[in-house]
Amino acid sequence: MIIETIVFYVFAVVTVAAGVMVVVSRNPVHSVLFLILAFFSSAGLFVLMGAEFLAMVLIIVYVGAVAVLFLFVVMMLDINFSELRAGFFQYLPVGGVVGVILLAELILVFASGAADITLPKTVASPTPPADVVSNTEALGNILYTRYAYLFQAAGLVLLVAMIGAIVLTHRRRVGVRRQRIADQVARDPKDVIELKDVKPGEGASWKSD
Amino acid sequence: MTELANPNYLAALPEMFLAAAAAVLLMIGVFVGNRSTTALTLLSALAMAAAFIMVLVAPDERATAFGGLFVTDTFSTFMKCLVLIGASVTLIMGLGYVKREGMARFEFPVLILFASVGMLMMISANDLIALYIGLELQSLSLYILAAFRRDAVRSSEAGLKYFVLGALSSGFLLYGCSMVYGFTGATNFEAIAAAVASGGEAGAAGPIGILIGLVFIAVALAFKISAVPFHMWTPDVYEGAPTPVTAFFAAAPKIAAMALLLRVFLGPFQELVEQWEQIILFVSIASMALGALAAIGQTNIKRLMAYSSIGHVGYALVGLAAGTPEGVRGVIIYLTIYMVMSLGAFSCILAMRQKGQMVEQISDLAGLSKTNPLMAFSFAVFMFSMAGIPPLAGFFGKLYVFLAAIDAGLYGLAIVGVLTSVVGAFYYIRIVKLMYFDEPAAPLDRPIGVELSVVLAGTGIVTVLFFAYPTPVLIGAQAAAASLFP
Amino acid sequence: MAESNFWLDYILPLLLIVGYILAIVVPIMLSVAIVSYAERKIWAAMQWRKGPNVVGPFGLFQPLADGAKFFLKETIIPSGANRVLFLLAPVIMFSLGLIGWAVIPFDQHLVLADINVGILYLFAVSSLGVYGIIIAGWASNSRYAFLGALRSAAQMVSYEVSIGFVLVTVLLAAGSLNLNEIVEAQKGLWFFIPLAPMFVIYLISALAETNRTPFDLPEAETELVGGYQVEYSSMSWVLFMMGEYANIILLSGIAVILFLGGWLPPFQVEPLTSVPGIVWFLLKTSVLVFFFTWTKGTFPRYRYDQLMRLGWKVFLPASLFWVVVTAGAMHLFGWLPK
Repeated sequence: MIIETIVFYVFAVVTVAAGVMVVVSRNPVHSVLFLILAFFSSAGLFVLMGAEFLAMVLIIVYVGAVAVLFLFVVMMLDINFSELRAGFFQYLPVGGVVGVILLAELILVFASGAADITLPKTVASPTPPADVVSNTEALGNILYTRYAYLFQAAGLVLLVAMIGAIVLTHRRRVGVRRQRIADQVARDPKDVIELKDVKPGEGASWKSD
Repeated sequence: MTELANPNYLAALPEMFLAAAAAVLLMIGVFVGNRSTTALTLLSALAMAAAFIMVLVAPDERATAFGGLFVTDTFSTFMKCLVLIGASVTLIMGLGYVKREGMARFEFPVLILFASVGMLMMISANDLIALYIGLELQSLSLYILAAFRRDAVRSSEAGLKYFVLGALSSGFLLYGCSMVYGFTGATNFEAIAAAVASGGEAGAAGPIGILIGLVFIAVALAFKISAVPFHMWTPDVYEGAPTPVTAFFAAAPKIAAMALLLRVFLGPFQELVEQWEQIILFVSIASMALGALAAIGQTNIKRLMAYSSIGHVGYALVGLAAGTPEGVRGVIIYLTIYMVMSLGAFSCILAMRQKGQMVEQISDLAGLSKTNPLMAFSFAVFMFSMAGIPPLAGFFGKLYVFLAAIDAGLYGLAIVGVLTSVVGAFYYIRIVKLMYFDEPAAPLDRPIGVELSVVLAGTGIVTVLFFAYPTPVLIGAQAAAASLFP
Repeated sequence: MAESNFWLDYILPLLLIVGYILAIVVPIMLSVAIVSYAERKIWAAMQWRKGPNVVGPFGLFQPLADGAKFFLKETIIPSGANRVLFLLAPVIMFSLGLIGWAVIPFDQHLVLADINVGILYLFAVSSLGVYGIIIAGWASNSRYAFLGALRSAAQMVSYEVSIGFVLVTVLLAAGSLNLNEIVEAQKGLWFFIPLAPMFVIYLISALAETNRTPFDLPEAETELVGGYQVEYSSMSWVLFMMGEYANIILLSGIAVILFLGGWLPPFQVEPLTSVPGIVWFLLKTSVLVFFFTWTKGTFPRYRYDQLMRLGWKVFLPASLFWVVVTAGAMHLFGWLPK
């Protein structure tokens, strides 16, 4: 138990610290790397909760794919860091005040006990015990039955996103020579290669048509 | 393997059919290329017509599907019909523009189809997650449509602005949903309603956490219907987006978002009516006032329509603020009439061409009565109707919501509504004056095209003759409103 | 009392785990050395050369000599480089080549961590490989390195998609994400027979994942003079190289588990079944490592657009199609496990 607690706090602290660093670090590439760190430690937290499937998927999807693309783009962008910083400090007072007010309001609401009303402790989908059903199976079971509608609809959303990316960015450039593999394969050596028996000292003559 | 309790796929037949149709049309477009755009547009309209019939023949009584994620009732039937009419008519209306302005890419009708699927899903949402996914499907398609003329700076700007602000509002929505889920332990609307009801007994104010969630949800939905103070995107997006897309924005998504708003506020949060009524009151008054005042200075007709739509949303919300079946009936009637009027107005705007170029300045309409009297007449009809001059349809829309507000004792709201109507009438009538009493600058091109003429005539006749035979709409709206109040 | 409990409950398991880890890591380091020697010998044989033959009998100590040379050289960090990340990149690369082994079952019970989602873990580890390269390329502050890193990022992400689908078909066939259960499911028939197309796709994608010829564009000596590694020297470079080899062995091991029956003998008959599973596993892995070497000695490098075309327009649809076919067939004929 002690070890689990220690590990939990390590992961939790790292997650929060990395999250802060994402926002405050000067270099956007560092920000993305801290973001990755945050993902990692969140995955660690998932593992601690016994949700190993989510942990792995978090790493595969977010770290393995999404953050790579982030990093890819951020590295290629030419960002003026000092300008960004200037904007940050310019808006810091206003943003800070708004943030502090919101925070104070939330604290007041929740600390005053007004929100402390006992509600039925229900959850939309109770978790089955981990020793009976592995959580991969449990997730699959609920995702493809009870939430099949949402699953399909989310698929539509992704399809639309894909169409959008293509519609808005894809341009068929003219004047680009494209490789046509079928043409290359279909070419017959007889039509394009001519074997010449060249006598020494005479050189080859090449008839052009 | 657990089986889904109560899948009842048949209830979602129109959505499934439309989604499948969109996927099939997309494949056709991919393989045939952009020359299939016209055919795809017509096929999409046909698909929507088929979905319309499916919606109509579905049984009227309330039914849930997919384990309670999805609901159909008279309200959803009515709203889906409206949305499908609006979407298919704008699709046909835009055909000429799309071909002329180099927008003829096969993705256009497909995206409109997907947006329509999203809207139908929104209207039938019976769960916070279903609500969110439907909303995202619709919004994502709309962002792309707004930026569809990607080589035009204004269109790209419109798309980007809409996207950034829309994403922000989606964030609010999700935050609100998570609060509600956290405090009720449910995402299903009935379950939330039950939790709210049982929590409400503990204190008069109701559980604060749910309220905070409700406020965030309200903010997000107010953004989607472009109600003040979350309206900032509307004028820029309306102006920048290609005109057929703007027409679509004005006709369909607004109705779907409004339907969603009604369902959310009157379904799970009905018990909190005293709380959200204040929000709706403020939003409604602010929208009416801003719609009336800010429109005065506009010179671009699409911007003007944007402010006009903000104002109309304000009027529609008057009915919701009443919180009674009569009020909801007023909202539904108002939305129906608003859709017809804006379809008509936009078919006029789509016909505004000079020497083959689209124009969108209000001054370009000067002297239209001399160059194209029929179009001038119908445009005037729409303007008068939007201003709420009897006996045109727009008057009845306002009448029903104001009556409901007075019945509910919201005299102040009704008075503000009437006052802003008077202010708003100023800029509508200014356009009429421009068309009838000013000298023509340059004549607009003729002919305006068969599809526009048909839409213009149809919507014009409905607007003028609504008072003679309003019964079908009234009965439908009555039944639809009643189904929200079990 | 509490103290003794502390020692028994915490320190002892910790020491045990460290022991297990060493028992896996040391042989892997050793095999990296052997593989690097074997590769050079094999290429030499392919090209009618002798290969390393000076240090020790048959040049067997060549890897040690190379190691000593790199160890004694100076580590050079370019002045414009981002020091921390520059040094972090090879470490990431190397450790990723090692941590994957934690879930590999060498024999039925010979596995460090027999976790439920072993295959996902391996997929996650292999998907992280790109970071070592991309960070190296960026931190070097060099154009060649950066170009190599960008190529590599695009390449590895592209091929990962098809590897993902390959894994899905194997999961469908095995009905589990646990590597031991996947191996057990192949008792009757190794998966490379029913899933032959996916096996081919996996092997080719594995070449792309490890940046090996014919997909070694991130390095591409002839155009990028070494790509992301161009600024690295001595130990930092060796870490890259060792990571690469450990990765090759790892991906071969994964292929053995997914398609070639892991620690199972080819036939369930007596003399074969009494051979320990680890022998079968190592034997099969060696065959695949040889395949990697063979490819590198045989094929010229792909052009970049051809590489992308192969990944997105051939493998992605093909693997997706095969997932559908597999799932459909299994559902139709009732072959679904469990």
